[in-house]
Amino acid sequence: MTETGQRRRVPAYWLLIAIPATVLLAFFVLPNALLLSASFLKSEAQQLTDQVTLDNYRFLFTRPLYLEVFARTFIVGLAVGVIDIVLGFPLAYFLVRTKSRWKGLLIALSLAPLLASVVVRTYGWYIILNRFGVANDVLLGLGVISERIAFMPSTGAIVIGLAHALLPYAVLTIMGSLNGINPNLESAAMSLGASRTRTFFNVVLPLSLPGIAGGFILVFSIAISAYATPAILGGPATQVAATAIYTFIIQLLDWSLGAALAVVLIVCSLSLLYAASRMGARQATL
Amino acid sequence: MPRILTRRWRATSGPWALLCTVVGFVYLFSLGPILITAAVSFNQTNRSFFPPRGFSLRWWERAFAPEWIDPLLFSLKLGSLTALLATLLALPLAFALYRYRFAGRNALIALTLGPLMLPTLVTGVGLLQLFQYLGWREYIGFTALLVGHVVICMPFAVRTVSISLQTLPPNVELAAASLGATRWLAMRHVVLPLIKSGVVAGAVFAFIHSFTDVNLSIFLARPGEVPITVKILGFLEFGFAPTLAAVSVITLLLPLILVAIVERVSGLGDFIYGDHRRG
Repeated sequence: MTETGQRRRVPAYWLLIAIPATVLLAFFVLPNALLLSASFLKSEAQQLTDQVTLDNYRFLFTRPLYLEVFARTFIVGLAVGVIDIVLGFPLAYFLVRTKSRWKGLLIALSLAPLLASVVVRTYGWYIILNRFGVANDVLLGLGVISERIAFMPSTGAIVIGLAHALLPYAVLTIMGSLNGINPNLESAAMSLGASRTRTFFNVVLPLSLPGIAGGFILVFSIAISAYATPAILGGPATQVAATAIYTFIIQLLDWSLGAALAVVLIVCSLSLLYAASRMGARQATL
Repeated sequence: MPRILTRRWRATSGPWALLCTVVGFVYLFSLGPILITAAVSFNQTNRSFFPPRGFSLRWWERAFAPEWIDPLLFSLKLGSLTALLATLLALPLAFALYRYRFAGRNALIALTLGPLMLPTLVTGVGLLQLFQYLGWREYIGFTALLVGHVVICMPFAVRTVSISLQTLPPNVELAAASLGATRWLAMRHVVLPLIKSGVVAGAVFAFIHSFTDVNLSIFLARPGEVPITVKILGFLEFGFAPTLAAVSVITLLLPLILVAIVERVSGLGDFIYGDHRRG
């Protein structure tokens, strides 16, 4: 009797969360903990040893090769973030304010790229940018260039491909903050004599800044951990963090350095997303 | 301002017209590469001519050869199972988070959203290490992929289910209980039917996320057990092939058709927007 009484005291939520939480602990927390620990272990002959060391991090942060990888990753993230805000803001503003009867379709079209894998979307840029690709054909045809140019592999191609792939995230986040602005505020400003341009810069833009900042950080954080696009449009000379991790782990079998680089990426992503959630990005809401 | 006036003012005013032009270019940037991919798949020759020269379906025929159909079916199987398992795990989790306030609830939320926050690539590396560490090498491939995909897709399902739970009228469960329903009956006949569209949307998002994933799959695939995205990525080393363009279009169309059907039947739009307004 006492036993069943005690058993009944197991709260109902325990039964609900037991299995999902176990799955997450076993296959999400544990692997990441292992990775974190591997980043502090020395690797010898492609095997992890139990020697604790900070050498992996020291190595990554002192070798010019990897400093360059960090710098390139950061620049790519920054450029992609800026481009997506510049392109995404007009689109988001248009989608929120338009009175067109095609509004639903236009929104669907702007988000549809999310349904395609990044590989597929980047492949389009491969077709356009490669030496025998569409861009070369068009420029040759127009007489702008006289011989074929290799637009890729290059950091620029990575930036274009990622900006294309991540644009919907910027649009969604900015639309979220624009949706929250009362359109009457604009009417009020204009009725008080402000021009449409002035209303935009003095009313709409400041009010949508959280969405812009949130969108920027979200895009930045996805861009710095993207693998497929840099792998397709970049090459060995234009490695970024994600492709370097892949090289370490799959090709060089150096778990320590791969893990350390992954941990650096985690720390960057998490601090960025924390900042973004403070600014109202959608990623962190439940 | 009367509506007609607004419209005329908008149509003639510089800034709005300028905005429309800019938006046109953004759409071109966003959809152009996809349309070009579709167009070059009809080329007659083995080159990416755009506009395509001649018209041929032979690359499309090749896209349906086992070399490409097998990974495609593999991805479909993986995505469907992932959607099913992720939704089954997400349901009780979302319900517990919605219904109960308990110590560690915030930690559980963080744990649930974790896979969304951490780069997927890192989770893939971690899982590979875990499977090797435990000596589960023979499970690398489908099983490891399934586990990984369920983990990274669960947050999407939890989120949509949570959104639909929040739209439940208050006290429906109490009402059902006062009419004599047990907790399970209330859940089965009252709560579940009311959140059905959220559950379906969650499963769809989970499927799409699984079907389009690359970052995790590249670490956990093995020859013969390769999702279509990884297969395409590997093939790109050999340069351009129109077959690849055709395959890309197929992998793009499948989720699109799925979303169109589900949108018709039970609606998805609210879940892309819904959580926005709640912010």
